[in-house]
Amino acid sequence: MQTIFSTPKSIKENSTFTFCPGCDHGVAIKLVAQVIDELNLQEETIAVASSGCSVFLYDSLDVDCIESPHGRACAVATGIKRAHKAQGNNKFVFTYQGDGDFASIGLGESLHSALRGENITAICINNTNYGMTGGQLGPTTAMGQITTTSQSGRNKEYHGFPIKTAEHIALCEGSSFSARVALYDIKNIINAKKQIKKAFEYQQKGLGFSFVEILSSCPTNWKLSPKDSHKKIQEELSKIYPLGIFKDVENE
Amino acid sequence: MSHIKIDNNKCKSCYLCVDVCPKKLIKKSETIGKTGEYIAQFCDKNNECIACAQCAMVCPDIAITEVIKS
Ligand SMILES: Cc1ncc(C[n+]2csc(CCOP(=O)(O)OP(=O)(O)O)c2C)c(N)n1
Ligand code: SF4
Ligand code: SF4
Ligand code: SF4
Ligand SMILES: [Mg+2]
Repeated sequence: MQTIFSTPKSIKENSTFTFCPGCDHGVAIKLVAQVIDELNLQEETIAVASSGCSVFLYDSLDVDCIESPHGRACAVATGIKRAHKAQGNNKFVFTYQGDGDFASIGLGESLHSALRGENITAICINNTNYGMTGGQLGPTTAMGQITTTSQSGRNKEYHGFPIKTAEHIALCEGSSFSARVALYDIKNIINAKKQIKKAFEYQQKGLGFSFVEILSSCPTNWKLSPKDSHKKIQEELSKIYPLGIFKDVENE
Repeated sequence: MSHIKIDNNKCKSCYLCVDVCPKKLIKKSETIGKTGEYIAQFCDKNNECIACAQCAMVCPDIAITEVIKS
């Protein structure tokens, strides 16, 4: 008998996710927990949650967590990392944020943390809308995409263009790693875990700001089944937001 | 015989595991779960499970709590 899969040690026993059925937030948190286990980081980790569906991270992830105001996760993580460092403690600090949180209200904090080369990791769940508040248009909503606040689809005249977050972070001199991954099939789930692990390892090596943007489903607000949501990511969103590694200081 | 364990309290009936299993061993059950839908059920009468763990990898709710190879 060999255990091929079991619930990660860093997931609280008997916890259940409160995400909607089929939501990729659950897959993303499972991968983060697996990487924390594999790198043996549970004891030294401080996770910084944000506003959005991402906040439910701390219901399930069994590490020290702190909640930050909307958009400020990278600023809070900066303070935690630096204050502990000043005390001689090497804490592992990562943020878990939505696309609205990271790239709209928090864009200043996010970009400047990358520019400063802050030695933290940020995970950004890009589901192309403000999921928690009912699916409004966000900074990453694709051109033509219908949301509750773009009822005939995003247009350039009124809403302007969406942001390609991973590419922007890659342009910051202080970033060590920036990748965009997806979770729509097994191959991509395996790759997503690999890139999260690399981002975490770059922080351990002290290389600077590491970043993973995860193209994720929001079946409820997209009004699609979990399966069709994955199809949308595969066929539409990953064409607009190409998957790949945009910065990797160890492979330049 | 290889097998998986599904936690009925965690399953939210998204059926992503049903679609991914290469051996088609996971089906909608006749039991209603917490979301009011039929939860997933592992049925492997002929011991076909290859313990590939693809079902556990795609499950967004970690409702597939174990994959055992034997
Ligand atoms: C200062 C402030 N403004 C607005 C809100 C309301 N609010 C809560 S979550 C959210 C959007 C979250 O969207 P995103 O970051 O994309 O996360 P998701 O829910 O999609 O995962 C907003 C606008 C808030 N909590 N605080
Ligand atoms: S609203 Fe969207 S992002 Fe939030 S839990 Fe539901 S499906 Fe997931
Ligand atoms: S481990 Fe593989 S073969 Fe067995 S039930 Fe899961 S997906 Fe099917
Ligand atoms: S993937 Fe998980 S939550 Fe979805 S139907 Fe299968 S066991 Fe249930
Ligand atoms: Mg969002």
